[in-house]
Amino acid sequence: MIISRISRFISNFDNLLALFAGACAVLAVLFVLFLPLPYSEDQLYPKEIDESSPLYPYERGGTPFERADIHVQYPENSPFAGYVTAYLTPFSLALSRLTPHAGTTIVAHPGGILDEILYNTRGLDTVVETTILFIAFAIGSYLFRKGS
Amino acid sequence: MIGIGGQPLFMLPFGDIVLYFTPFTLTLFILALVFTVLVIISKPERQIDIVFGGDAYLAKEISISEMKFRRFMAIACGLASMGAMVTGDIFDFALFTSLVGICNVGIVAAVKSRHVQNAAYQYGLVAMSATVPLFAGAAIVAATTGTLSILELALPGATKVPLFVKALLTLGVMGEGMAPFYAAKAEMFRAPGAPYVIMCSLSSLLIFLRVIEVVLTV
Repeated sequence: MIISRISRFISNFDNLLALFAGACAVLAVLFVLFLPLPYSEDQLYPKEIDESSPLYPYERGGTPFERADIHVQYPENSPFAGYVTAYLTPFSLALSRLTPHAGTTIVAHPGGILDEILYNTRGLDTVVETTILFIAFAIGSYLFRKGS
Repeated sequence: MIGIGGQPLFMLPFGDIVLYFTPFTLTLFILALVFTVLVIISKPERQIDIVFGGDAYLAKEISISEMKFRRFMAIACGLASMGAMVTGDIFDFALFTSLVGICNVGIVAAVKSRHVQNAAYQYGLVAMSATVPLFAGAAIVAATTGTLSILELALPGATKVPLFVKALLTLGVMGEGMAPFYAAKAEMFRAPGAPYVIMCSLSSLLIFLRVIEVVLTV
């Protein structure tokens, strides 16, 4: 019977990745059929890319101690949105004056560049992202130490 | 917002990410919370193999450190499920879902059984590839509607998310552990150590119920 053959194929977990790849392929074909998708011009987080800025791609503009113009979904939830964009630690400030690539060193020095949207209004995302990394690292280190 | 989930009873804002508790999401949240508490307070089972036709049996010994690690992963999985139940943001939901997938691998990562390890490896591969449709779906939601907030998308005048994008999100969640990709997870339960391994099953059930709500609401 065809059903028993299908269920035998599915029950073997070695075939699951192939099955998932097949499902993704079907969805990719559908994607081509659904094109073009409309693009909403009214984006919530608009961003101007200025490649000459040393803080590229984390430049959100603004001057220190003044409020920058930041679009957020719920302004009442972020009363201090726009105040953090221009803050740099002294080390980051020196780095941004020395090199045009300070924006790419975001992971290398803590507290350097604050992307308002990334770390303030969407802060929970950042927390969950680092939690994913932490859990993955915990599993990896546990498996590594299990042998010894 | 009158959707499948009902009116929000309570909102918990984290900046632009607003957690909302409707009767539907609150039920799922309490289910995950109760099970996480059970995982914290309960002692693990000790699996016993009984020989048929005789009175011989053998108990499987599991070290304390292994149990501790598995409990830690089960608690992390419960917290991730709780987050995925109540988050009001598509991208945040995708993040919590992939966190659930990683924790599920972690729960059985310490098991000394080749069969379970093979199943967990295959599950991990599928869960990892499933993040592509999941996050692609979230990205296309942002591109086509301009926002990620489920509450905004549920408003009557909001731009509707294309059907195909909903299919992408659903496929991403299916890869994290719904039928037919559940087969590898079912093999993972052969690992000793309930109730920790049951968290794998419960979390995928919860995130699938939630993604249905999300897809029907936006």
